[in-house]
Amino acid sequence: MTVSAEAGADARVAAGAPRRATGRAGFLQVVRVIWMREVLIYFRDRARMISAFTMPVIMLVMFGEGLGNSIAQLPGDIGYRQFIFPGMVAMIVLMNSVFSGVSIVTDRQFGFLREILVAPVSRTAICIGKISGGATVALVNGAVMFAIAPLLGIDITLEVVAKLLPLIALVSFMLTGLGVALGSRLRSVESFQMLSQVAIFPAMFLSGIFFPINNVPAWMDVLVKINPVTYAVAPIREIALSEQLAAVPADAPFQITHVEWFGYTLSTWEEIGVVLAFGALMLTIAIRAIRTTE
Amino acid sequence: MSAIVAEGLTKHFGEVRAVNGIDIEIARGAIFGFLGANGSGKTTTIRMLTTLLKPTAGSARVEGLDIVAEARAVRRRIGVALQEAGLDDLQTGRELLTLQGRLFGMPGAQVRRRVRDLLEIVDLAGAADRAVGGYSGGMKRRLDLAAALIHWPSVLFLDEPTTGLDPASREAVWRYVNQLCAEDGITVFLTTQYLEEADRLAHDLAIIDEGRVIARGSPADLKATIGTDVVTVRVGGPAEALDRAAEAAAAVPAVERVQRADGAAVVYVPNGARAVARIVLALDEAGVEVGDVSIAQPSLDDVFLQATGRHLRAGEMPADGGAA
Repeated sequence: MTVSAEAGADARVAAGAPRRATGRAGFLQVVRVIWMREVLIYFRDRARMISAFTMPVIMLVMFGEGLGNSIAQLPGDIGYRQFIFPGMVAMIVLMNSVFSGVSIVTDRQFGFLREILVAPVSRTAICIGKISGGATVALVNGAVMFAIAPLLGIDITLEVVAKLLPLIALVSFMLTGLGVALGSRLRSVESFQMLSQVAIFPAMFLSGIFFPINNVPAWMDVLVKINPVTYAVAPIREIALSEQLAAVPADAPFQITHVEWFGYTLSTWEEIGVVLAFGALMLTIAIRAIRTTE
Repeated sequence: MSAIVAEGLTKHFGEVRAVNGIDIEIARGAIFGFLGANGSGKTTTIRMLTTLLKPTAGSARVEGLDIVAEARAVRRRIGVALQEAGLDDLQTGRELLTLQGRLFGMPGAQVRRRVRDLLEIVDLAGAADRAVGGYSGGMKRRLDLAAALIHWPSVLFLDEPTTGLDPASREAVWRYVNQLCAEDGITVFLTTQYLEEADRLAHDLAIIDEGRVIARGSPADLKATIGTDVVTVRVGGPAEALDRAAEAAAAVPAVERVQRADGAAVVYVPNGARAVARIVLALDEAGVEVGDVSIAQPSLDDVFLQATGRHLRAGEMPADGGAA
C-alpha cells in the first residue's frame, strides 16, 4: 500500500474514532517488540533451557571419552573430544535456532501469530523480529558452551571465543531463518516432528559435527556437501581449532576441515560466504511465507 | 457511514464454498451478532473482515476502508479476539497487553496507563503479574478481550467469545461487551453458535447457514416473523396420551400448529397468555394428565428452524460450561 493511500484513509476516518492510540510502531520498534518476546519466553522456559544443553554436553563427554580412545588419532594429534567440541557448539546453535524458528508453528496454533498479524505492522518486521529473537537465544546458548568449555576439558582461548561469537550470531540467524521458512509452511506440531526426523537430524549428523568431512565414502560426500549446515560447522571448527590445525602436517592423509569441491578447498571466508548467501535466501523465503500467511 | 459493509463477500477453499456471497451492512455503535452452527462460514467471514484472509470475490469495507486495498489502515481501527485465545503461557497478563500496545506504536507511558485501566475493567488487576499459563479459561478470554481493546479500536471483532466458558464467566464477558458498546460507542461484530448469546447481546443479527445469510434483523424482529407465541404442555402417561393431547390442542380456536416433541405438545398460537387456559381445559376434558405448562415467545431457534428446516442443536449452551 502506498503512503498517500494510507494518509487519505486516516483522514477519512479520523472524525469517527472516539479516542486513538497515539504514535505508530516503526519498523525497528516492531522488530524489538517481537525480539523481546522471543527472548523473554526463552528465559522463562527452564525446561527448554536445560534440555537444550543436555544432549550436546552428554554427547561431548560420552563420545569424546568413550569413542575417543578407541578410534585412531586424527592428523595433528587432535583429540577427538577437542575435535567434536566445535561440532557440539554448532549442534546447540542449530537445535536452538531451528526450533525457535519453527515455534512459529505453535504461535500459529495458539493464535498468537494471528493476533500479531492483525496489528497494523510490517510483516517483514515481524519476521525479522522473530528470527533475531531465535538467533539471540541460539547465540546465548553457544556462548554458554564456551563458558563451560574449560570444565569439559577443552582448550580454548578468549581470543578464539571473541572471533567465534560473531560467526555464531550469523549462523544462528541463517538457521533460525531456515526454521521460520520451514515452520511457516507447516500446519501442525506433529508435521514438525516428522520433519525433524527426516530432515533436521540427518542434516545435523551429515554436517560433520562428529567426523572429518573429507574422509567419507563418495555417496556421503555428496550429501555432506549439499548440506548447508556443513558450511556453518566448518568455519566454526576452523576458528575453534586454529591453533591445533596449524600443527597438522602438510602431508596429512586428509583435511580435517575445510569443505572441498572437486579438489578445490574453500577458505574459511568462502564458507562464511555460503552461510551468508543461504541465510539471505532463507530470510527471503521466510518473509515471503509470513506475508502470504492468512 | 456504516461501520461494516460487505457486498457479495465470498470465499472458496477449492471446492468448498465456505462463504457464499454475503451482503451485510452494520450500523456504527451496534452489537452485531453473526449466528450459525460450526462450519457455517462465521469464522471465515470474520477472518476476511479482519484482513487475515483475502476474499475470493466480492468486497467489504470496515469504517469505510477496503479490507484488501487498505488492509493496514483497517487493522489500525479494529480490535480482534479470535477463537483460540492467542496467549503465551509464559508471559504475564500485563506483559502480554504491553506487547500488544507496543505493536500499535503506543508510547510507554500511554501503554502503562492503558494496560492498567484495561486490567481493571476486565477484573484482572489482581492476576496481572502472574503467568498466563495459570489463568482459567474465563480469565484468558477476558485478557484476550483486553488485548483486542488496547489501541481504542472503533470496531471490535469477537469470534465466539464465550464458547467453552462457564455461566459466570460468560455473563462477565457479556457485561464487558455491553459496557464497551454503551460507553465507548464501539461497534461490536461477534460470532456465536449460542442462541441465548445472540438473543441477549445482539442489537442486530444475521443468521448464517452454509455460507449464506438466511435471516437478518433484530432478534425481536426475527422472532416476530414467526408471529405466534409458543405454549408448551408437558403430558404425563402413555405415548398415546400425547397424541390425544395434540389432537385436543389443535381443536382449540386460534391455534395455528401443534408439534410433538420430547413428551410435550408444542402449541403455536398468536396470544399465548389468553389461549393457555383454553388449551389446558381442552386437554383436561380429553382426559389428559397435564404436567408443566409454559408460555414462551418464539426463540431464535424457531427462526432458524423455519429458515433451514433444522434446529440449531449445536448451539445449545452447555448447562455447566466446559472449561472452567
